[in-house]
Amino acid sequence: MASNDHYVIAGNGPAGNAALNTLRKNDPESRITIISDESVGFYSKPRLCSYISGRIEEDELFIHEDLSFDNTRLRLGQHIQSIDPDQKIIFLSHMEKINYTKLIIASGSKPSPSPYMTQFMPYLKSITDFHEAKTHKQCIHDAQQFLVLGGDLVGFKFIDMLISMGKAATLILYPQAFWPFVLDSDMVDRITASLEPKGIRIMVNDRIQSIQDADGGYQVATLNHARNEIEEHYCDQVFAFSGMTPNIDFACKKGFDIDHGILVNEYLRTRFQDVYACGSCAQIFNPILKVYQTTIGWTNAETQGEIAALNLLGANQVTRLAPQKYFDLEGVKIKTSWWDDTDENPNPDGDF
Amino acid sequence: MNTFDIVIEICGSAGEGTISAGEILARFMSSQGYEIMSFDSYPAEIRGFGKCVAHTRVNLNPIYSPGKYADVLIALNDKHAISQLGFLKPDGILIYDNQPASFHEEDQSVAGMAEPGVTLYGIPLTQLAHEAAGNSRGRNMVSLGAMACLMEIPKDDFVTAIQNRYASKKQIIIDNNIDSFVLGYNWTGENIKKIDEYSFKGTEPAPPEDKLIINGNQSVARAAIDSNISFYAGYPITPATKIMEIMGKELPKTGGIMLQTEDEISAIGAVIGAGFGGKRAMTATSGPGFSLMTEFTGLAVMSEIPAVIVNSMRGGPCTGLPTKTEQSDFNIAVAGGHGDAPRIVLAPVDTTDCYEATALAFYLAEKYQTLVVLLLDFFLSNSIRNIDVPKPINPSFLSANIAPEPDQLNGYQRYRITGSGISPRTIPGTPDGMYFSTGLEHDENGRPAYDSDTHEKMTRKRFVKHGNALDEAPDVVISGDDGDLDIGVISWGSSAGAAREAVDAARAEGIKAASFSSIMISPFPEEKLKVFADRCNTLLVPELNFTGQFADFIINFLQRPVVKLNFVTGLPMASEDILEKMRELR
Repeated sequence: MASNDHYVIAGNGPAGNAALNTLRKNDPESRITIISDESVGFYSKPRLCSYISGRIEEDELFIHEDLSFDNTRLRLGQHIQSIDPDQKIIFLSHMEKINYTKLIIASGSKPSPSPYMTQFMPYLKSITDFHEAKTHKQCIHDAQQFLVLGGDLVGFKFIDMLISMGKAATLILYPQAFWPFVLDSDMVDRITASLEPKGIRIMVNDRIQSIQDADGGYQVATLNHARNEIEEHYCDQVFAFSGMTPNIDFACKKGFDIDHGILVNEYLRTRFQDVYACGSCAQIFNPILKVYQTTIGWTNAETQGEIAALNLLGANQVTRLAPQKYFDLEGVKIKTSWWDDTDENPNPDGDF
Repeated sequence: MNTFDIVIEICGSAGEGTISAGEILARFMSSQGYEIMSFDSYPAEIRGFGKCVAHTRVNLNPIYSPGKYADVLIALNDKHAISQLGFLKPDGILIYDNQPASFHEEDQSVAGMAEPGVTLYGIPLTQLAHEAAGNSRGRNMVSLGAMACLMEIPKDDFVTAIQNRYASKKQIIIDNNIDSFVLGYNWTGENIKKIDEYSFKGTEPAPPEDKLIINGNQSVARAAIDSNISFYAGYPITPATKIMEIMGKELPKTGGIMLQTEDEISAIGAVIGAGFGGKRAMTATSGPGFSLMTEFTGLAVMSEIPAVIVNSMRGGPCTGLPTKTEQSDFNIAVAGGHGDAPRIVLAPVDTTDCYEATALAFYLAEKYQTLVVLLLDFFLSNSIRNIDVPKPINPSFLSANIAPEPDQLNGYQRYRITGSGISPRTIPGTPDGMYFSTGLEHDENGRPAYDSDTHEKMTRKRFVKHGNALDEAPDVVISGDDGDLDIGVISWGSSAGAAREAVDAARAEGIKAASFSSIMISPFPEEKLKVFADRCNTLLVPELNFTGQFADFIINFLQRPVVKLNFVTGLPMASEDILEKMRELR
């Protein structure tokens, strides 16, 4: 007999798909809907730079999940406008209502452009999703000289890619762009020491003063506040990676407890019955440290997606740390979840 | 060859301006030098809430079929557009109204029902229409503006097309439509990030030529006027009514008469009467009307009077599917009615053919003194093409009656047996040219005669005459590979274009193939088909009827099996479906 439940998963990334697989396995009769802003299927964001550089083909980016179940519906390119957790209704921006019985929010994070960069947006490119990667792939191959702003984890992947492609780059590093943590001066020094021998020039916290078209590329003026010096740069392309923020606009003003992300307990449950959140859009209560903390990284997302789904089905599992919980940022090991008191050896192959 | 091929569909409810928007789009594309084929489907109800679809295919090269799947779907009505999503390509574009008056319930929104892979562009169509013109009537123009912006089509040229479309209207109507278009264009440019790869940019169509934008019905009507028709009688019926409307407007200008009769039997009776009087006359109908006319068609055959009937086929039987296309009147056109009644049947394959076949129909009817049936269908009647301006009609086609020589009027025999089967005919009023005209079997003088000898002789005469008309048949069209073929596709009427495109696609995949079609259906160029069939390993006959009426017709003389491919979906033949079958058969 078919279940009357309609599970909705907001997000089609690693957390959402782990939740889907868990629900599918444990409640095969239920109806499941996945909603994603992006118009393409589940793919590996960490591999976008490999796709751009040509190390892998487009098809290798995509993770072909089995969606052949009659009762599983993938809604791509559909944006959640708001959620009414009391009525259990999701409002989509194209003006459609979806009723759910249980909801998992796994909407991940989105770029968080620095306000001061706003005026330069027409000149700035970024790689935040597949579409941008596909759009910019050719121009990256064609260009030789890059100016990279911000940094963040995706930005460092991008720098690595440029190095592997033999491109020249200047990185203007903004330590605060590394949500959910801030690079301290020691980390910055170690990153600089790692990248400069590879031909990457590092500038820290310099601000863009102007960007102008010049000879098919761009003339960029930057200001170093400490030295009060303006420097002129010529580059073929300017890319900006100014950090990420939880993708939860739809949850604001609807009664969810929100700090930076959606607040959930250690069981990944929000304050609403039957609504869970996981992955980088959630802030998870650490019962030991008594604080809400955010995790990033593919493995963390997958683990939490599975736990959220199991708890939604009636289990009572406490969120555990992912085995890989360190991100290797140019030799600097950064925890991607950090509330337990264990101190495992950092895994240099960490993901994000 | 520069290739560019795009199909754009606008789907809305009757009264939402869907068809108008499609027409503007088609005319604009033609004005830019593109080849177009446009086809509208609409509900049988005159006005209401039925589904309308304006389908336009745009190409740099000649096109022969409308294309089954759309690249772009503009949804003016969510409910109707949901049912059209199955015809949107998996990587197509959906333009929809993202700010309707209220939220849709689950699965009632077209955007929500779009398959993964479809690119969604939500545009506040209603809101922008209100902003532009104070009401929602301009949603169609807003959506065209959005589409034009997304497809990177220059705005100003499109505005001119809108202006031309509404030139005869009040200025405020012109302004409202243009304002709605421009607002849709600008809003989209400012607010929508294009993430698809469809674009008209850089397609470089040939410089626009002097093209005629015309549908099958208009083409038939124009050819009839150019063929010096002086009388039209008819009773309105979809999809042939447009011919009658044009005749009503145009015939009086040339001194002709359009008569709306009380029914189709009366109409064909009047046409035969006019033919008897020496006037070129025509009627146009569809299946239900043609059924009625078969009461009378035998008279034209028996008394050897010229008459032209256009039968634009629609889904049947009975009232059937008035606004859907079908090719299911083949049998009744070729053999409908009682008795051995040979008639000439012509089935044009496209809009240009409609013109030429109509001119030929009048010529043949007059010369062979018989009934000529011109078989169109809903799709052919209504699909709009931009065609080269037709060549002037061959002057010999304009006056084809074989009149008796003066010495033949001495003891004039109206139905004299001749080698060709054609007996010189006098027009009533010709001195010494009087004769009996009757639906009864008759002798050479026209006097009723029931003896077996006369009946056999006169029947043979009528069939000899019919057979000789084959000499006047337009060339059959064979397109594809020479030599031995894996598959030969034999088609007729409006399906021939799709067959031709399918063959081209199949050849590109390594299948040795060719298509065969003949405008003249009865008498049929059997020998030419036999020669073609001998080259083919497999014969495929696609047509829009359930049983394969044409396939059965040719099996009779080919004496070999054919593979039938039949659809009764109410939709035009799709080259994609023929190609799929060819892949199966290879």
